[in-house]
Amino acid sequence: MIGDLLAIWQADTAFPSGAFAFSNGLEGLAALERGLPADRLEVVIEGALRRRWATADRVALLGAYARAGDMDAVAVIDREVEATTLCEAFRTGSRRNGAGLLAAHARIGTPGAAALQALVRSGDTPGHLAVAQGVVWRGAGLERDGAVLASGYIVASGFATAAVRLGLVGAVAAQAVVRRLLPVVAELAATDPPERIESFAPLLDIAAARHARGELRLFSN
Amino acid sequence: MTQSRHDWPSLVASRSDAPAPPRASAARIGVGGPVGSGKTALIEALIPALHRRGVDLAVVTNDLVTKEDAERLRRSGLIAPERVLAVEAGACPHTVIREDPTLNMAAGDDLEAAFPGLELVIFESGGDNLASTFSLDLVDWWIFVIDVAGGDDIPRKKGPGVLKSDLLVVNKTDLAPHVGVDLPRMLAEADAVRGGRPVVATNARSGAGVEDVADAIAHAVLFRE
Repeated sequence: MIGDLLAIWQADTAFPSGAFAFSNGLEGLAALERGLPADRLEVVIEGALRRRWATADRVALLGAYARAGDMDAVAVIDREVEATTLCEAFRTGSRRNGAGLLAAHARIGTPGAAALQALVRSGDTPGHLAVAQGVVWRGAGLERDGAVLASGYIVASGFATAAVRLGLVGAVAAQAVVRRLLPVVAELAATDPPERIESFAPLLDIAAARHARGELRLFSN
Repeated sequence: MTQSRHDWPSLVASRSDAPAPPRASAARIGVGGPVGSGKTALIEALIPALHRRGVDLAVVTNDLVTKEDAERLRRSGLIAPERVLAVEAGACPHTVIREDPTLNMAAGDDLEAAFPGLELVIFESGGDNLASTFSLDLVDWWIFVIDVAGGDDIPRKKGPGVLKSDLLVVNKTDLAPHVGVDLPRMLAEADAVRGGRPVVATNARSGAGVEDVADAIAHAVLFRE
């Protein structure tokens, strides 16, 4: 049971990691001329889960989890994330969110957190979120499947929470969206990951790139 | 699978043995308070006062929707622009200083790494209401700034910021006669609700009271008299 509890602990938004400050493209989509109707929110999140999380974030997470004891191998995966993340706002956001997660786990004393944090601070590796999750969640004792589910849940929940703060949907309606997407997370988590990181979510990339130039914004990306 | 409370799995190897969990070496203080109470103006006045005391410092701002406060400080000429970092608050000024201060913690770490010898990092909260408080994960000591134009009933409302801050600053004292505020009574009520913790009256624009705030910081977290 402890494996399940550890995954719940890390998926809980009460765990401080800085994730609340990132809309991952949603604020940019909402700012488009036609806006983002509430009924499109679910489609956007599902697209991000299928075309970015399952094929990119999850692959990096699993790689870092499997090689958590070898920081050189972890750094290779981290650089692959850096190279394959097209949008600068997503690269920066992922690094900052990763630094936030590492800051919390380093204070807690999670094995691996201080070591990866030191590498990031010295500039030896970028410290992307999915990579940091793989290392510290392995160190914290999460099981592989629990780590994948926590990661996918955080993506769905993070979009829904950002949508509430952007005024796109009510807090209760947002949880109905999350509930409908849970089977998608479960389905994707059960599939074999691709060998290499790949991602295709151009609308979110463009929205985030436009957002990065905006003067007024609530979220970091 | 069972696991005792203290049983960390040793799945992550060796390099974690070298660095201990990081300890902040620079003192970290917070400046919070309602929108428009004068937090940025107070920091602008404090920077030269602290520089005169030889304090090596940097600032992190938490603007709500822009980088206005960070840009204002960067352009002020008071501090090197690279010593001012902006952290977006994700629409939640409370969260970024209390429930989830990790982005601010990381920004403080970045400043310490960039400026060896840094002694003080000032975290300016985004403008908020009377309920905001700083997490002690983030800061060692914090100031709450209110102003007379916000109403002389603010101390009586006993918001957590007024009650729990290490130092309460009542700013814009020069406006008291113009907004019908009995300043001595407002300060006395602030003293009464704070149970002996200090209250300083300031006019950040003229500099009145700013030296007292700088002294309080130097005494509380820099151990200087």
